[in-house]
Amino acid sequence: MSEEIIQIETPFQFNEENKQEFDELIGRYPVKEAAMLPTLHLAQRQEGYITPAVMKYVAELLELSVMKVKDVVTFYPMFFEEPVGKYVIRICHTLPCALRDCKVVLDHLKSKLGTDVASETNLAKGTTDDGKYTLMKVECLASCDVAPVIMVNDDLYKNLTPEKIDELLEQLPS
Amino acid sequence: MAFIKLNDLEIEVEDGTNVVEAARQHDIEVPHYCYHPGLSRPANCRMCLVEPYGPIPGAPPGTIGPARQLATGCTLTVRSGPPERKLEEKFDAIIRTDSDRVIKAREDILEFLLVHHPLDCPVCDQAGECDLQDFSYRHGHDKSRYLEVKNVPPKKDLGPDILLYSTRCIVCTRCIRFCDEVSGSGELGLINRGSHDEIDIPRSHEGTPIQLLDNKLAGNVVDICPVGALISKDFLFKSRPWFLEKTDSICTGCSVGCNVTVEYKADGLYRIKPRFHEDINQHWMCDDGRLGYHYVNSDDRLQLPQKRVDGELVTTQWAEALTLISDALSQVEADEIVVIGSAQGTNEDNYVLQQFAHDVLKTTQLGLIGQLPGEEHKFPQFTIEADKNPNTAGARTILGSANGNVVLEGDTLWEKVASAKVVYLVNGGPERPLQDAERDALEKVGFLIVQDVLPSEVTQLADVVLPGTTFAEKDGTFTNSSGWVQRIRKTIDPPGEAQADWEITQQLAKRLGGEIDYHFAGEIAIAIAENVEGYGDATHQNIGDAGIKLT
Amino acid sequence: MVEERRILYEHLDVPDINTFDVYRQHEGYTRFEKAIAEYQPEEIADMVKDAGLKGRGGAGFSTGEKWSFVPRDIEPRYLCCNADESEPGTFSNRYVLEKNPHLLIEGILICCFAMGIETTYVYIRGEFTLGKKMLDAAIKEAYEQGYLGENVRGTGQNINIYTHPGAGAYICGEETGLIESLEGKRGQPRNKPPFPAVQGVFMKPTVVQNVETLCNLPFIVGNGVEWYTQMGPTYGDARFDPPKADPNTGTKLYCISGDVNEPGVYELDLGLTCTELIEVAGGLRGEEVKAVIPGGSSAPILTHYELDTRLDFTSLTLAKSMLGSGGIIVMNETRNIVDCLLNIMKFYAHESCGQCTPCRWGTPWVRDIVQRIADGEGRQTTITRPKFGITESGRWGDTGETEEIYEDLDLLESVANNIANVDTMTWNTICVFGIAVSWPAVSYMRKFRPEFEAAIREGKLVTLPVAEATVPPEENYAYQQRIIPKEMTDLE
Repeated sequence: MSEEIIQIETPFQFNEENKQEFDELIGRYPVKEAAMLPTLHLAQRQEGYITPAVMKYVAELLELSVMKVKDVVTFYPMFFEEPVGKYVIRICHTLPCALRDCKVVLDHLKSKLGTDVASETNLAKGTTDDGKYTLMKVECLASCDVAPVIMVNDDLYKNLTPEKIDELLEQLPS
Repeated sequence: MAFIKLNDLEIEVEDGTNVVEAARQHDIEVPHYCYHPGLSRPANCRMCLVEPYGPIPGAPPGTIGPARQLATGCTLTVRSGPPERKLEEKFDAIIRTDSDRVIKAREDILEFLLVHHPLDCPVCDQAGECDLQDFSYRHGHDKSRYLEVKNVPPKKDLGPDILLYSTRCIVCTRCIRFCDEVSGSGELGLINRGSHDEIDIPRSHEGTPIQLLDNKLAGNVVDICPVGALISKDFLFKSRPWFLEKTDSICTGCSVGCNVTVEYKADGLYRIKPRFHEDINQHWMCDDGRLGYHYVNSDDRLQLPQKRVDGELVTTQWAEALTLISDALSQVEADEIVVIGSAQGTNEDNYVLQQFAHDVLKTTQLGLIGQLPGEEHKFPQFTIEADKNPNTAGARTILGSANGNVVLEGDTLWEKVASAKVVYLVNGGPERPLQDAERDALEKVGFLIVQDVLPSEVTQLADVVLPGTTFAEKDGTFTNSSGWVQRIRKTIDPPGEAQADWEITQQLAKRLGGEIDYHFAGEIAIAIAENVEGYGDATHQNIGDAGIKLT
Repeated sequence: MVEERRILYEHLDVPDINTFDVYRQHEGYTRFEKAIAEYQPEEIADMVKDAGLKGRGGAGFSTGEKWSFVPRDIEPRYLCCNADESEPGTFSNRYVLEKNPHLLIEGILICCFAMGIETTYVYIRGEFTLGKKMLDAAIKEAYEQGYLGENVRGTGQNINIYTHPGAGAYICGEETGLIESLEGKRGQPRNKPPFPAVQGVFMKPTVVQNVETLCNLPFIVGNGVEWYTQMGPTYGDARFDPPKADPNTGTKLYCISGDVNEPGVYELDLGLTCTELIEVAGGLRGEEVKAVIPGGSSAPILTHYELDTRLDFTSLTLAKSMLGSGGIIVMNETRNIVDCLLNIMKFYAHESCGQCTPCRWGTPWVRDIVQRIADGEGRQTTITRPKFGITESGRWGDTGETEEIYEDLDLLESVANNIANVDTMTWNTICVFGIAVSWPAVSYMRKFRPEFEAAIREGKLVTLPVAEATVPPEENYAYQQRIIPKEMTDLE
């Protein structure tokens, strides 16, 4: 026999504002499937991460099978399948940042936050116990002139040093 | 038609043919994994690289040479072009599949394919019919230079009949494309990226399935998997493929008439796989048909005739059973007899049956039964029909082929049965439940002769039970719903003393002084061809492997 | 010293240039107005071809030629603007999006007018949240001002621009990967042909252009072909008779990063040398240049002997490298090339889309080999061969010559070349990601072989002095053809 199927207790739904944005989005493409990435971004913004309920909902909206959504979610590193911290810290570790000592910044962040670096399939590994921060390495953030750089949620921070990291972390509202 | 030069052969192929197929038509192997003629062509395995020739940039006009890049043979199609585009003034394309570059490319790709492969052929079901084995043997390196740790993705349960051994998977995506394009159900996809790509059904992050691979065509993904990654639970560890005999036949699951290959040993059937037929099932078959063969192997199969003694069925000898029947038949008038043929039976079975009824019993009252209708399932490129019998069209025509014959079906049949004194009912398929009206009618019959393969509700009501045969144990033809007459072939011997249905009917006829005397099914087919309208060409010889369509 | 020539970046730092009004005050949209007032669409396409504009995204393919492949009788046609800037070392598009988005809109308008395109999707990488916000705001203004929407400026043509966010996959910068991603699927590149110009997004003819390429259009239209072709060298390719013009016209937004004092984007005429560019960027940080990556991390590396190579499409191709996206990464004498290669190979192994066999399983393999060498576990064998010669005792006999075989270096080269061969420029993969992997792997290893050998021999990373780490020019596989041959000189 095969395994049991997951029971989704609380179905996901867009809130009013996101529903409106979705309706606007879907009109941009001749094929509904094309709205996949923006729709997932919207859903992740609302729910924090992509749950099975979100995948089912998006699949229904775009008239696709659930697997088509899962397929895309696992391909793109910006979509999370696990809860993440309030602040997602993405640190670039590609060559230009490496040449500008991003490792020092990374080590400092690790010791300061007391957490390891998340891997794509294990975000919990990089999330602090209080659920405030998730630390992850990302590939080039296209800001090599101001390396090393990190992104905290949507904002880019440049020319970082351990001191600047300390300042930054203090400024972030809890 | 395009005129091409393939290696040193100068050949004509149809416009739009790809190089893999053009080569196959001339027995040249272009190894491939992701390409399947029934699916789209992503060209992701890179195994079928070939070397096309064309004009060399910068060189004098008319100079041709190998193109800088090799091309994938699956996506490279040839078609006839205008005279000014011809190469060497006559060819529409010049392609080599045997150049040093091609041979090296194949070796290199195979090395990559085997980098993470567990090489567990000794315990793999696919061994012996595995493209990875075969192509490695013919086109690969003899050793690997890979020293690092191999990826070990988990074994996965995808659905009721399908297991995925992810370690063996080469991510050719045939199974995904099948579920997208043919079944349209889209349960399969990739997860993760790069070398961590895995085939999977949708699951939560923790691994609980959100949807299972349980559409009615799911079994095809096992067939098209070029390696041992997708495995049928039904066949798992049952047999090495090279121990299996193979015979071409027709699926009996519904009236589509899918072309199949029955794989068997002396002790029974092991699996059924679809066989290509362009107009009927293409490359596919449904799981109802694929997994519906188990009744053939059943330990409960009727092996000896049975008679009713003091209300109980007890086994008896053929001679006694036939005597009982002929006695019963000779005591009643012709119009008190109903002879019922089956949509599970072959044209030959039904032809002999109607001949027996018409010529010997002198009755024109024939009936036709079959499996109860099921649901129709429509897929983007496949249909499973609601009629669960392989030969409704054929049985109907053939039973009614003699002068004055009336073929009763449904309510009218059961009304007739209720008032009959003797009923001779031939079934020959998997067990069929009785509906109330049918049971009532059969209970009223004075003397009920049932010829079937398994004990069932019908045999429970019988006065004499005769052991017949399934599709796997006899030769014959079926006519599908779209008018294709196709061959089934005997694979295994029937159990015990069971006999082909037409042979039993013929013996009965002889007992009653009839002159029916066929020696093999093909002889009956000739009689059908001579006597049944529309079947003029439908001899076994003409039908062959491809079947013929009635006009 | 070479002077910057700011054209695309001219008004970048003007306060509020991101608003319609300020952009309008700085000649904004006048080039588009000129285009629709003075030219037929086909004429614009011809101008772009005559200007010799080459795609700035990486491949350097002639923009005009690309447009000429688009069948004009199939509707609808699409424009996809590639703003998925993710080649390591490249960051010029980010500034355009964040600071001067109207310039991009004007470029898109001109392209749409020239090609009769009604719908444009701007595929912005997911991390560019600010860039997307600024562009969205600018698009909104453009709609309000009648530069987008129905019947744009009385041309009778509808033009719509939609932004589409990516989600962190490098491969979506490959044009067909971008198209697949835009269609809501995995960003797995398509097999070609058919090319996007014929069957692109939604299987319709599609022009895919980089942000910088589109931003060049207003200036070609505004200032004319002659003005444009004066910038940068045009070579003559003597394989053709008469020599075919091989233009490297216009300016390039050179992104320079790594060991220079003033990293950043410098807009300069195509064709200056590496040395000159480093000088423009405030000079080297450190004592000596060890290596320069001339075109984003995919590009084959240049040694200090090759710093006189001109940074244009033709010259770098002859030097067996590429200008790519114009991301120049400079490394000084303290850098270990094995370590740098490892960083890059980790990037590629992470970013391989996993669609086709050689790249899916070859790229992590290459990374693992480099990792092994960097960890000091690279394999090496010493072979002793009999060789007839004068022995130490002064007699003829077997001198017992030994040879060091660095198996892992051979393996590295062979595996990388099996993904895509850098010598024959042929790849077994679906897309050019394959060559983007083997180019750095093979070029770093060949050009800095002593440093790789040292890591294996010593069992740890050893940073050699620049002169010792680099193979001399005569042993450098790419050096000989590097200088532009006589027949390929400036046409003028």
